[in-house]
Amino acid sequence: MDLVTNLAHGFGVALSLQNLGLCFVGCMVGTLIGVLPGVGPVATIAMLLPITFGLPPVGALIMLAGIYYGAQYGGSTTAILVNIPGEATSVVTTLDGHQMAKQGRAGIALGVAAIGSFFAGCVATVFIAALAQPLTKLAQLFGPAEYFSLMVMGLVFSTVLARGSIFKAILMVLLGLLLATVGTDLETGQERMTLGIQSLSDGIDFAPLAMGIFGFSEIVKNLENPEARDVVRNKIGRLLPGWEDIKQSIMPVLRGTFIGGLLGILPGSGAVLGPFASYAIEKKVAKDPSRFGKGAIEGVAGPESANNAGAQTSFIPLLTLGIPPNAVMALMVGAMTIHGIIPGPQVMTKNPDLFWGMIASMWIGNLMLVIINLPMVGMWVKLLKVPYRMMFPAIGIFCCIGIYSINNASEDVLFTAFFGFVGYVLLKFGFEPAPMLLGFVLGKLMEEKLRQALILSRGSFTTFIERPVSLGLLILAVVILLLALLPSFSKQREEVFTE
Amino acid sequence: MNRMLTAVAALLSLSIAPALAQNYPTKSVTMIVPFAAGGPTDIIARIVNEHMSRVIGQQIIVENVAGAGGTTGIARAAAATPDGYTIMMGHMGTHGAAPALYPNLKYNPATDFAPIGLAAGTPILIVARKTLPAKDLKEFIAWAKAEGEKANHAYAGVGSVSHITGVLLNSVLGTKPTMIPYTGTGPALNDMISGQVDYMTDQIVNVVAQVRGGNIKAYAIALPERSPALPDVPTTKELGLDYQVSAWNAIFAPKGTPPAVVAKLADALDKALDDQKTKDRLLELGGVIPDKAGRTPEALQKLVESELARWTPVLKAAMAAGKK
Amino acid sequence: MTDSSTTGSGPAGSPNKTYNVSQDLCGGLFLIAVAAFFYWKAFPLPLGSLRAMGPGMLPVTIAVLLAVGGIILVLLGLRDGTARQETWHLRGPFFVLGGVIVFALLIRTAGLAIAGPASMIFASMGSDEFYWKESIIFSICMTIGCIFLFKTALQLPIPIFTFF
Repeated sequence: MDLVTNLAHGFGVALSLQNLGLCFVGCMVGTLIGVLPGVGPVATIAMLLPITFGLPPVGALIMLAGIYYGAQYGGSTTAILVNIPGEATSVVTTLDGHQMAKQGRAGIALGVAAIGSFFAGCVATVFIAALAQPLTKLAQLFGPAEYFSLMVMGLVFSTVLARGSIFKAILMVLLGLLLATVGTDLETGQERMTLGIQSLSDGIDFAPLAMGIFGFSEIVKNLENPEARDVVRNKIGRLLPGWEDIKQSIMPVLRGTFIGGLLGILPGSGAVLGPFASYAIEKKVAKDPSRFGKGAIEGVAGPESANNAGAQTSFIPLLTLGIPPNAVMALMVGAMTIHGIIPGPQVMTKNPDLFWGMIASMWIGNLMLVIINLPMVGMWVKLLKVPYRMMFPAIGIFCCIGIYSINNASEDVLFTAFFGFVGYVLLKFGFEPAPMLLGFVLGKLMEEKLRQALILSRGSFTTFIERPVSLGLLILAVVILLLALLPSFSKQREEVFTE
Repeated sequence: MNRMLTAVAALLSLSIAPALAQNYPTKSVTMIVPFAAGGPTDIIARIVNEHMSRVIGQQIIVENVAGAGGTTGIARAAAATPDGYTIMMGHMGTHGAAPALYPNLKYNPATDFAPIGLAAGTPILIVARKTLPAKDLKEFIAWAKAEGEKANHAYAGVGSVSHITGVLLNSVLGTKPTMIPYTGTGPALNDMISGQVDYMTDQIVNVVAQVRGGNIKAYAIALPERSPALPDVPTTKELGLDYQVSAWNAIFAPKGTPPAVVAKLADALDKALDDQKTKDRLLELGGVIPDKAGRTPEALQKLVESELARWTPVLKAAMAAGKK
Repeated sequence: MTDSSTTGSGPAGSPNKTYNVSQDLCGGLFLIAVAAFFYWKAFPLPLGSLRAMGPGMLPVTIAVLLAVGGIILVLLGLRDGTARQETWHLRGPFFVLGGVIVFALLIRTAGLAIAGPASMIFASMGSDEFYWKESIIFSICMTIGCIFLFKTALQLPIPIFTFF
């Protein structure tokens, strides 16, 4: 069979000593920058590009890919331990992951995240190898109208994310959408609500917003309630998940892998939706949805698998079409181009070493990540024992450096402080930040696609229901919304933490 | 006491300033690239830097400061201390089109810089969805004129190369298609491959793979001669269309940079462009390497002035029509 | 709109002291103020038409929706028995976020070698347990670690010390 020979060829390439080493270095660096809040794969890959000049192209790309999915892995560690989502995809992990950490189950959360990610990575790799080409067609089905409908569906997930009032969650989504409109207008180039601040001309960056609203407001909150943070320090349960935990996670991992892998293929914010969708599904199918947001293991296992599956499958449009679906993939395009390979439909036939070697290396990389990460769980959990008076300035300085390094701009750091205050205000008024971030992330793409669709249809809204894929997505959105509003949300107010 | 210190410091800095230029560079040089890493300008900067670093004996580090069509990064670089340790990679947009597009631009491309030299140009292609009925450029022009508003012209956002060159093409053709804005070349290409939009113009490096793979078709390349990267695509010159445009990338320093430093950097750039490995890499991208006379600071200054004169009226007219 | 019994139990959920005023009322007023600000800023932008939306279309629409939502929240908050507004503590935000601002102001002017300790020490003062000596030593060690990590290992272009 073709697939087997191709994969064998790929493993032949990836298993050379040099490529194994590069894959390992990539995974290590990726884990490191993933754990460091703020320092994203984009900044790191950009800085490492010159170093890869001296390497053969396949090795260089294997290493850079390792950084990317390694960073996804590491990002969940920070989300679980200190409630800071490094990227949009780990926002969901903070919801239940950090609650688990607060209950002394940080090790279990980290372990499940690692195992779930490994499984998802393996499945997604096979997925890419077998179905990369037909799946490319799927992305082609998505024009502006379909994307808009997909985003609408994504926003509906926010109602499921809500721990408290659904109404307040919807308001937060609106606030997120409003923040997303700040910046230069796509079509006319006019500045919108930038208050004359130049660094706002490209809109508000995700990292300062997320880090301010999640990270710094969390620190401020913890300083107010010393009891809450001491819970984290004093209770450290088992280090790795037990059989019970694994059993509970199997189905979420499977579902998360599927949904995340599928959404990851879509260019744009497809991969971002994966974890949100997975979380929404888990909460829907759970016997007792009220556990979610209070440390439900399914709320970590599902989204983490979706996250990693999406990270892998987002290579599909890059490898088969040469169209980068996100900023990191755009950098990979740059890296390939520097090495004289112009990514496009011919990469698969003209550079089989690269194509299959990279796919095989992803599987190897995922294995390496588990081997690197599982032993580190113990170390991470011990880190929680550091007294909070030392912990929070350390988190702060990492965040500051991370944010600064994204655009090398000190203005971004100031924005982080501002959003930290906004986050504190929102907490005090009982608003939850997660739905707001979802609205913000989807908002930009949503406006872009809405306007493109309406220009293409010359102003007719029927375009959204005339196109079958778009119509299907909209119907799905309505169904989810109805399901969310109907069932028993009234049972939710039970005891918060049980010792 | 304080005043004396300042005086001493001023004297010291005066006396060592020329010496500094002599020894330049004693530490790594920052090159601000005003676009996200991985794009055409960034790639060209990194390819050229590699050899330039070797010539000057110090690392040239790329710092990506993206935003507002590249003007954010250039504005910051223009305001940097003119000591040769901050230089920048500008391009057609930031140093040609920007004044027409950004009324509040914080720099003047013609007077606020010490030009170093032209690095490389990337030619522009006219590409279209493969299902478009027109077989060649002539048929395409007829099609565009007949369709008028019904034609869907994609571009990668205000101020992007595809926007600027696209507006120029429409003004040369005298057509007014419906313009569909995208946030980048990637999403625009995606919609072109699936047939949602009709045509666009963009740099060869962004579209070459799709053209070779047969996902989209190319009508013409806006160069005097055919590009070795796509030898089958005819030039606009052969076809008699008055549309000659290339996205150029050039290195600048802030105004006031010592002439000795500028000369040293210009020499390093010259040597880099003569280096076979650097050349090969640029050519693989479909890049056009300037000849010896075209690489000098003086030639770059002239280029900036002529580009400003060329773009300002076309873009101002297009922007005015867009706003109504 | 929704069952009000769930409103108010915010994620903070700490047994803090409260003011005798409804949390939803305050939150609603806050959102109305935010919406009004965005409306004011977006108002001068052209709205355009559905066929060619102007830059102002979405911000204005969303701001109006947000304001309406805020008003509903205020009305919900006016009923009896809703959750009370938690008290504010400004010490934490002042020092923690102040530390971030200190970093922002110093990173390009003085470099990480100075911005690091300065911002960490400032932030530390927000804690109830603050010790000068420990904070100074810890922040210097952390900064050295960060320089090694970010500059040496990850090669990020961060200014370390700008005075030479």
